[in-house]
Amino acid sequence: MSLITPAKPVRVPSRTRQVRSQNWVAAAFLLPALLTLVVFLVYPLLSSFRLSLLNWNGLGNTARFVGLQNWADLLHDRVFLTAIRNNGVLAGLSILVQIPLGLVLAFLLDRAGRASRALKVLYFLPLLMSSVAIGTVFRSIYDPNFGPLNSVLRALHLDVLAQDWLGDPRLSLIAVIAVVCWQNVPFYMLLFLAGLSSMPAELREAATLDGATEPVIFWRITLPFLQGTIRSAMVLSLIGSLRYFDLVYVMTGGGPSNSSEVMATYMYRTVFSSFNIGYGAAISSAMFIIVAVVAGLTLRATRRFETEV
Amino acid sequence: MNHKRVRALTALLAASTTLAQAQTTLDLWHIQTTDNGKKIIQDAVNRFQKANPGVNVNVVVTPNDTYKTKLKIAVGAGNAPCVFMSWGGGPLYEYIKSDQVLDLTPFLSKNAAFKNRFLPAAWSAVTFDGKVYGIPAENTGVAVVLYNKALFAKYNLQVPKTWPDLLKVVATLKQHNVAAFSLANKAKWPGSMFYGYLVDRIGGPDVFKNAVTRTKGGSFADPTFVKAGQMLQDLVKAGAFVQGYNGLDYDSGVSRQLLYSGRAAMELMGTWELGTIKNENPNFLKNVDFFSFPTVPGGKGNANTVLGTVGDNFYSVSKTCKNPDAASKLLTYLIDDQAAQDRVGDNRLPPVKGLKVTDPLLQRIQQLVSKAPSVQLWYDQDLAPQLGELHKDTSQALLGLSVTPQAAADQMETLAKKILK
Repeated sequence: MSLITPAKPVRVPSRTRQVRSQNWVAAAFLLPALLTLVVFLVYPLLSSFRLSLLNWNGLGNTARFVGLQNWADLLHDRVFLTAIRNNGVLAGLSILVQIPLGLVLAFLLDRAGRASRALKVLYFLPLLMSSVAIGTVFRSIYDPNFGPLNSVLRALHLDVLAQDWLGDPRLSLIAVIAVVCWQNVPFYMLLFLAGLSSMPAELREAATLDGATEPVIFWRITLPFLQGTIRSAMVLSLIGSLRYFDLVYVMTGGGPSNSSEVMATYMYRTVFSSFNIGYGAAISSAMFIIVAVVAGLTLRATRRFETEV
Repeated sequence: MNHKRVRALTALLAASTTLAQAQTTLDLWHIQTTDNGKKIIQDAVNRFQKANPGVNVNVVVTPNDTYKTKLKIAVGAGNAPCVFMSWGGGPLYEYIKSDQVLDLTPFLSKNAAFKNRFLPAAWSAVTFDGKVYGIPAENTGVAVVLYNKALFAKYNLQVPKTWPDLLKVVATLKQHNVAAFSLANKAKWPGSMFYGYLVDRIGGPDVFKNAVTRTKGGSFADPTFVKAGQMLQDLVKAGAFVQGYNGLDYDSGVSRQLLYSGRAAMELMGTWELGTIKNENPNFLKNVDFFSFPTVPGGKGNANTVLGTVGDNFYSVSKTCKNPDAASKLLTYLIDDQAAQDRVGDNRLPPVKGLKVTDPLLQRIQQLVSKAPSVQLWYDQDLAPQLGELHKDTSQALLGLSVTPQAAADQMETLAKKILK
């Protein structure tokens, strides 16, 4: 090599050399994480896009290249559009219910101090239970014939409110979302409790000395202090809602008549019940794009909001 | 290194490789999760292992719904078990088209005695292009209307023979605040049975077959399908079903609880339900009888035609199996005389000839199947998977009155045109 193109000795300033060697060390430490990322995230993502161009039942060498056909079909797929709408409803209600409720609970628990320990554990319980178990339990709670929910409503002479919760297409989605919220509020509560615990006590003390009332402290001091946490919570809630699967799958399977279908349940059915891998991959890739775009937009919007405040 | 030790190690290695060559391990996957079901198969496997030294069978039991996904992933990854269970029909045909399943026809022609033990109807769900890809083994599962004899007596009801008779029964029960039919249709296949029977009773067995095979001008837009949808919705509008039927989960047993509690008088369900009731509520079984799905006035269908499967649970050999001969032999043990008799003892009716059955209900199922001019496999299992899934969606929507019969038929035909040649 060196005989053909004589290497010119390059003089490297020692400072740069040091930085460069530091970079190498950093790279070496990052490599395992990077590899994991590539193997378990980037590669599956790319193969999912590749699969979305095929018509394939997932078995053997029967795949046929169909270009963007699956994507074109997706745009006209009534069920997929319903699923996107349902994911939107889920995301909207999650943010409107879970985050304020989590915030209020966290605030109250924080104010209650040590006395609230038992309550903290109690409120935290739903998050510890497996979604499948929760789904099964709530399915029987909602049962229109034997379930306790309707029995209680009837006992209170509220027969009008006793409904076919999971079997009525107008109610099924809301009935599932109520459980999703119940399960996830503790997570946001925990997030906000952590945020509150990092709030310096002097802030509150100073405000109290200046004669600020509790509501004023909450609105003018606590809330602005937590805005970073709230922003993270919103992004998490949005992303989580758009990818949601387990409780919907267990409680309604996306039905009746697709009324509670979300993108993930539709994708699962397409791949594992319909044997339609290509189309399922198109759904999951579309999901990825939607989640990425929505997450990006939310981050930008909340950042602008933050600089304005 | 110590030479002796090296030599000993080499010898050990050599011995273990020859041992490995002599030993064959066959994987067997099935879904019989009840204690009896598991034992019957394990006993059959033990008999096989005793008769074939050197062949090990590794039995893996998986619950129903998980199994479907698990098998699909294993086959897709090239790790199919040697012997696996399926329901035949469309999903099995996907595996066959992908060249994953062994053609058992040569094996069966060599073992004619084994083949002739089965009822002829048992082969239909596993025969494709004249070739057989599976052995029927577990049960005869055909859909019948189970009903509560005590309730029928209480309200002076006769077993309905025709659709108008049935609507009268529904009306009377409704007057007395009893739902005519229990139905748990979250998973969509239970409701699909009504639709399948209506299509058969209105148009005879060929309407569906022609639509699936795209022969003789068959189409899912055929007026028969639309009429079946209309009649199904008439039944819904007559208030025939329990509250919340489209959200109830069959596996959790709610549809049977509704029967037990007397809140519903009938359930259209596979005959395996009799066995389930026997295990769950033996006292109630004394109250239970069944009848065939009613005929439709002016319909072309025969009242004896049944929907379901004679053989329910078929065992196939995968092409990736390294020892297909041993695997084929194992199939014969899974449904030998002993296994057949064991299943009868477990209140099941394996599809073999000359079964000794003493239970009166089982005897009547036996008669029902033997006089059936044809057996239509469950629509969701007969259809190609994509169409089967759409059929389940549309039949649930029909029952929920959220789609018109015409629109449901059109959706099926649009997809059928696209994926069936």
